[in-house]
Amino acid sequence: MAVFTLYPMVDGLRMAFTNQNVLRHTYQYVGLANFVRLWSDDVFWISLRQSIILTVAVVVLQFILGLVLAWAMSQDLPGMSLFKSIIMASWVIPVAATVIMFKFMAQPDIGLINIFFRSIGLDQLNRYWFGDPDVAFPFIMLLHLWRNVPFYGIAFLAAMQAIPQSYYEAAEIDGANAWARFRYITLPGIRGMIIVMVTIHVLWTFNNFDFVFLATGGGPINATDVLPVYVYRQSWTSYTIGYAASMGIVMLAILLIYFIIYIRLYERQEISR
Amino acid sequence: MTSKSRARLISAILAYAVVLISLIYFILPMLWIIYTSFRTQDSIFTGSIISPFDKYTLENYQTILSVTDFLTFFINSFIIGMAVTVASLFCSIIAAYSLSRFDIKGKNALIMGVFSTQMFPQVLLIIPMYLIIFSLSLLDTVLGVVLVQLILVLPFQVWMLKGYFDNISTDLDEAARIDGCGIFQRLFYVVLPVAIPGIMVAAFFSFVVSWGDFLIISIINQSQRTATVTLTIQRLSSALLIRWGQVAAATVLTIVPTIILFSFIQRRLVAGLTAGAVKGE
Repeated sequence: MAVFTLYPMVDGLRMAFTNQNVLRHTYQYVGLANFVRLWSDDVFWISLRQSIILTVAVVVLQFILGLVLAWAMSQDLPGMSLFKSIIMASWVIPVAATVIMFKFMAQPDIGLINIFFRSIGLDQLNRYWFGDPDVAFPFIMLLHLWRNVPFYGIAFLAAMQAIPQSYYEAAEIDGANAWARFRYITLPGIRGMIIVMVTIHVLWTFNNFDFVFLATGGGPINATDVLPVYVYRQSWTSYTIGYAASMGIVMLAILLIYFIIYIRLYERQEISR
Repeated sequence: MTSKSRARLISAILAYAVVLISLIYFILPMLWIIYTSFRTQDSIFTGSIISPFDKYTLENYQTILSVTDFLTFFINSFIIGMAVTVASLFCSIIAAYSLSRFDIKGKNALIMGVFSTQMFPQVLLIIPMYLIIFSLSLLDTVLGVVLVQLILVLPFQVWMLKGYFDNISTDLDEAARIDGCGIFQRLFYVVLPVAIPGIMVAAFFSFVVSWGDFLIISIINQSQRTATVTLTIQRLSSALLIRWGQVAAATVLTIVPTIILFSFIQRRLVAGLTAGAVKGE
């Protein structure tokens, strides 16, 4: 298993320094030429910027909305257990299906979103939401949120329920208000879960390919391009896999930097406790 | 009204507001596509929400199931999903059990290695994998797809199951060892029966990932022969003239198996998925 996983990883690194092409049998090592080409590739820079914006925005929003959802679900109210049991359905259905649902709702004239805006008298908003360079990118974010916020909510809820109720009772006797209880009991109590959820979602969101590729293919006019999609186009539309691999290496390097900073901060916080 | 009961009322109202917004955002799109799958093409194109009663139809499903090859693709997806699930469970149970129970040299490095594969972009990994599958002449075969999906599912699954095994007390292992049970006997008769819930989540995870995969199948697949449901609905929805009713029907058929499995597993899902995380605390 290690061999099967390791070999492609190492081979991917090696490829980044070649001019390998799917359609050619021979290739040469070209040193850093691929990286020099990256430096002056506008689409690469656009994709890089959008990948980072997408990842940061999506993970931050998922975290906040996940907390809100977990709080709502932690209230002991009629109907809440049914709600909890259906809400994570969005996480299990194929991304290809999610994209179709939203593409259909975003259709001009016949899509639910435009029907809704028409019914409240906002006809001028009628458009294909994935086809408009100004709104396509936020729309991609909505798809990410749709899939993952319930997962965050349920995960945070599970962690919250593991916090002993007596902590809250003691805090209430001491006169702590709702915010203080949240800040000093709930947040530290679910800290471990927060770390895991945020870490894996930074990796998954940054490396995610399906949402953008299926919804817009990176368009309109690169408005939604992200690195994984550009790598895919370079390898399977232009067949320049050497160049594509060098871009993949940049992605890996960014995640490594994130990981190192994150571990540093984590350790510093552990010491200061 | 005392201030305490008022606070309780306000939080109940806020909680229900969150529930209502969530239902509209997370559930309505699914209901809408199901609803659309029972409408005729012209009633969809009127752009109204409700149509006269005679505009509802089963025709979309009939067309998808009898005129197109959707059923073949559905079976393909199912075979691939089952194969990935069985093979990945076999590998990951053994790997996770060894990582959880034995002191292997370089164990921590191995665990870090497993986790770092999550960092490696799949779009990059798929390039060498394509070349491997090509040189094994497995392009456009079910086996080729299964192999690649397996490699991408395994790391997370091992990590997840290891966390689950770690949470199972080693006392039982010890007792069985003293009674003279070998490693595999202990795994099969002592640990596995206790770990069934975790293993079910692992199985669910690999099936759902395989069923929903688009990246791998779009590269390894070259013809209609090994096409899966995700590839098919993508093709249907990017046609020049989109028959939305039929696209909706195919999408619903694609979603249904995952929702059915989910309904069995939902209570356990999060506990299982994050078992690897909870443990380290």
